[in-house]
Amino acid sequence: MSRYAYFLGCLTPNRYPGIETATIDLLRLFDIEVDYMKGTSCCPAPGVFGSFDLNTWIVIAARNITIAEDMGADITLTCNGCYATLQEADHMLKHNRELVADVNRRLAKVGREYKGTVNVIHIMEILYKEIGPEKIRDMVVQPLEGVKVACHYGCHFLKPSDIRQQGNPENPTMMEELIEAIGAEPVEYRDKNMCCGAGGGVRAGKIDLALDMTRRKIDAMMEAGADCVVTPCVFCHFQFDVGQAEINNRLGAEKYKLPVVFITQLIGLALGMSPRRMGLHRNRTQVKTLLDKVFA
Amino acid sequence: MGEKVGEEPRVGVFICHCGTNIAGVIDVEELVRYASKLPGVVVAKDYRFMCSDPGQNLIKESIRNFKLNRVVVAACSPRLHEETFRETVREAGLNPFLFEMANIREHSSWVHMWQPKEATEKAKDLIRMAVAKARDLEPLEVRKVPVKPSCLVIGGGIAGISAALDLADAGFEVHLVERTPSIGGHMAQLDKTFPTMDCSACILTPKMVMVSRHPNIKLHTYSEVVDVDGYVGNFKVKILEKAKYVKDRECTGCGLCADVCPVHVPNEFELGLGARKAIYIPFPQAVPNTYVIDKEKCIECGLCAQVCEAQAIDFNMKDKEVEVEVGTIIVATGYDIFHPYEMQQYGYGKYENVITSLHMERLLSAYGPTGGKVVVPSTGEKPKRIAFIQCVGSRDEHYFPYCSRVCCMYSLKHARQIKEKYPDAETYIFFIDMRAFGKGYEEFYETAAKEYGVKCIRGKVAEIYEDPKTKKLIVRAEETLLGDPIEMEFDLVVLASAVKPSETTDEIQRILKLSKSPDGFLLEAHPKLRPVDTFADGVFLAGMAQGPKDIPDAVSQAKGAAAGAAALMGKGEVEIEPYYAVVNQEICSGCKTCSGICPYGAISYNEEGKAEINSVLCKGCGACAAACPSGAIEPNHFKFKQILDTIIAAFQEEAM
Amino acid sequence: MESSKLIKKFEADFTQEVIDFGSKFFPEVENFRACIQCGTCTGSCPSGRETAWRVRKLIRQVQLGLKEDAIRNDALWNCTTCYTCQERCPRLIPITDIVRSVRNIAVYNGIMLPRHVQVAGLLIKYGHAVPINDETREVRKELGLDETPPTVHAFPDALGEVKKLLEDTGFIRLIEEAGREGSK
Repeated sequence: MSRYAYFLGCLTPNRYPGIETATIDLLRLFDIEVDYMKGTSCCPAPGVFGSFDLNTWIVIAARNITIAEDMGADITLTCNGCYATLQEADHMLKHNRELVADVNRRLAKVGREYKGTVNVIHIMEILYKEIGPEKIRDMVVQPLEGVKVACHYGCHFLKPSDIRQQGNPENPTMMEELIEAIGAEPVEYRDKNMCCGAGGGVRAGKIDLALDMTRRKIDAMMEAGADCVVTPCVFCHFQFDVGQAEINNRLGAEKYKLPVVFITQLIGLALGMSPRRMGLHRNRTQVKTLLDKVFA
Repeated sequence: MGEKVGEEPRVGVFICHCGTNIAGVIDVEELVRYASKLPGVVVAKDYRFMCSDPGQNLIKESIRNFKLNRVVVAACSPRLHEETFRETVREAGLNPFLFEMANIREHSSWVHMWQPKEATEKAKDLIRMAVAKARDLEPLEVRKVPVKPSCLVIGGGIAGISAALDLADAGFEVHLVERTPSIGGHMAQLDKTFPTMDCSACILTPKMVMVSRHPNIKLHTYSEVVDVDGYVGNFKVKILEKAKYVKDRECTGCGLCADVCPVHVPNEFELGLGARKAIYIPFPQAVPNTYVIDKEKCIECGLCAQVCEAQAIDFNMKDKEVEVEVGTIIVATGYDIFHPYEMQQYGYGKYENVITSLHMERLLSAYGPTGGKVVVPSTGEKPKRIAFIQCVGSRDEHYFPYCSRVCCMYSLKHARQIKEKYPDAETYIFFIDMRAFGKGYEEFYETAAKEYGVKCIRGKVAEIYEDPKTKKLIVRAEETLLGDPIEMEFDLVVLASAVKPSETTDEIQRILKLSKSPDGFLLEAHPKLRPVDTFADGVFLAGMAQGPKDIPDAVSQAKGAAAGAAALMGKGEVEIEPYYAVVNQEICSGCKTCSGICPYGAISYNEEGKAEINSVLCKGCGACAAACPSGAIEPNHFKFKQILDTIIAAFQEEAM
Repeated sequence: MESSKLIKKFEADFTQEVIDFGSKFFPEVENFRACIQCGTCTGSCPSGRETAWRVRKLIRQVQLGLKEDAIRNDALWNCTTCYTCQERCPRLIPITDIVRSVRNIAVYNGIMLPRHVQVAGLLIKYGHAVPINDETREVRKELGLDETPPTVHAFPDALGEVKKLLEDTGFIRLIEEAGREGSK
């Protein structure tokens, strides 16, 4: 039975705890244990704090990694931003002794030491590589027949490809295979590879620009006839879920209501997990239309 | 020769001023004083320019007057004047290999320009070492091997054809080997050629016919070179002539067989845009005009044999291996085009209306799959707006860092041809730089823009999307000259895709033991001064096999390679430098360590299992000598004692 | 006679500053020297399509040494760090990482968006850029989770560690400075 240290970050525990329960429960179905990392902070967000001060960014990131090192388990997470920070910081530290020395000098002041003994594994990797579409297919009790899904990978899971090593970012297929395994239909849509607009501090600093980009994505997904959008990143999830409401506010009309689900939530639905337990009813953009189709 | 083995060495040292190149830094008089006191040195002299006639005469006179039997010249690099001074020495009656040079210019006065005292000391060291070696030198004879007056040309494209014709006209026998059923290469796939807009087939096919008719050219098509043994002047080549199942002499090229053949296969010549039959000729002007059966696709229904009036079909034919002996080889194996499936952002292979430039040539071609009508693949309609995308795969560290050289010009050509056929069509070329470097090329570029209205946008295309309903393509780029991102819709997108060495290059490289440049093309001996030679004597390069180039350059290179080959074959013999290694048969234990080390395949084993070195293939690199655990191998002119004495001299403090 | 103020002056120091700062984290940062301004980056940029942000120009500014143009450009903060440009650059220039590096230099020079100063303040105060709120506490309870997640929210000592580190790296001072500059 494999065991992971769950890095929560900010958005999952503080805005979408449903993703937390969905992920933990889903992995447990496949005999994968996740233990909470205790005392973690913001990863810190790569496009935000990485843009302000990389020296601070890497120290806080290293501190978070040491918590998992103390637990002796690889880190997993449900956010591309946290993945970008922890995987990249870990990669940098594993390849640059001077940097490790610098960072450890600071960490020593809080009684910590980065050792480079754990790896950072995105939840998508566990789903696709460790579990695999076949095993998931075998466990499906509620095939999502007729459900059209727009897959949105987000940016930091796949890029930069030389460090992430998750395949060709121009044409990924991991999520589509998982979606097909649960009986749903992944749809091709324009600008599939495009950013949701939230990253790089743009959501925080220039919300209207972020929403412009979000709107393009949702328009394209709706044009392609999607019933929902699925993503492996809670920040994209947040941007789509809350973003649609924000766009509607600015338009003064309820135009955008495409349900947004996290990958573990969607797979959870197919495997018979309770939508309530996964917090789907708490999404800002109602998921009723999706659930109706699933349970039709 | 004036010396015998056992005779005491009498060394003359000649120190060159090289104007101020050496004398401006080094104290030459000091060197003369120093050299004359070295062991074995009978006389030391200096002169302003030793390589000049008076300088050389000084050497010759000294040899006579002082009865010298070893000569050391302290001057520039041996790469410049070693030959010169060897000749001088030979003219004075000495074996030219009893001569040694000390490089006190490139290795001292030039690199230590601001430290004259140290430079002088170093020059003394270099002379002392050269004298030590000179004392140990032995006379060596230059061997001559005959060169057969025949040449193997590998590859029947425009480069191979040009080289073959020049050599055949000069009276040499040529074996031209081509892998596909017809010669012509990629040039046969082109419609028109820039900048003249000549019809490619019209200028190519006469040459192809000349090849087929030339009494001195033996054409082997549908054949491959499988092995080459031997060395310059005497190559033994094995050619595999694949079975065509159709007899060359009987086949009239009437084509009835293809009409009745039931098997349809994508046509490689048309890059899959059209189909061919299992029995086929690749294109109408094929040379030889013999049909060929693709045995893998043939279902052996026998219909073709039934209709063939010339009784040319023979299913019992077998592959034949032919051995020929040639004196020289020219490699003209050409290129392949990069099919950018991996560049998913362009949608090649996914979107029907994204094609490569070679596909466009076939669409433009009068004998292509559409008879010369350029159409949008998904609709069959004429295109209204076409994008040409440059640098697809080229100038890209992810794929091919080099520039493919021909694409700017051919895209201008394509755009112009489109405007000729469809004056209302819009053509846009997306480029990083417009490279119009050749004769008439810049004018061609100007004409395309001014007279034909071809539009050029400076910006490499970032991504291409397809409208799933209309199959039209949306191209995204930045118009960098304006500094604005743009999105434009096109009916048809043509990718000017990179050229890369043809897939047979690896095999030929292995067989001939050639080297590759870092870009993957075959390596020339010197990029400026020996652009068609290779480091394998007697083997020359021509055409795209050596690097991306247009037709004028390919033909020039082919003529250069032919001239190089003709020089060897015309002379009829070639001198082999005597630097080869020799195995002492008594010491050799037959352990076989050496042959694995030799990069030139020069070592074989005799009946006693002892190593023998082919003195013609051997380049004197010394690797075998270093590897031999018994110390049985020594390269001529770099024997163990010679080297050791040089090293010992290097560490000696003062003369005597 | 002095030339027009519109004539750009190049500062080689800035180019070196980006290399010195960036190469600590991104060994390939010097690749920007090989940039031929092909435009693949801006052509790929989702923000560039919506705004005046031209990432190609930023690389040019770094190449030539136009510090003020680079760090005082408000559009510098339009980049979402999606990495598409970096992925496709034919000269393998770590473009996005250079954007982050130039942003760092901007922040050191006191230039920060006011909203970003606020977000940084949240990290300093709570250890989270997005701290928990009452609504989500309810949801956590409803889903059977601990109301307070096991992050620095639940472990004050851990938060203390984070604050100490933020002090030690000079982050807190940096944000205070930028906040002061911004309010001028």
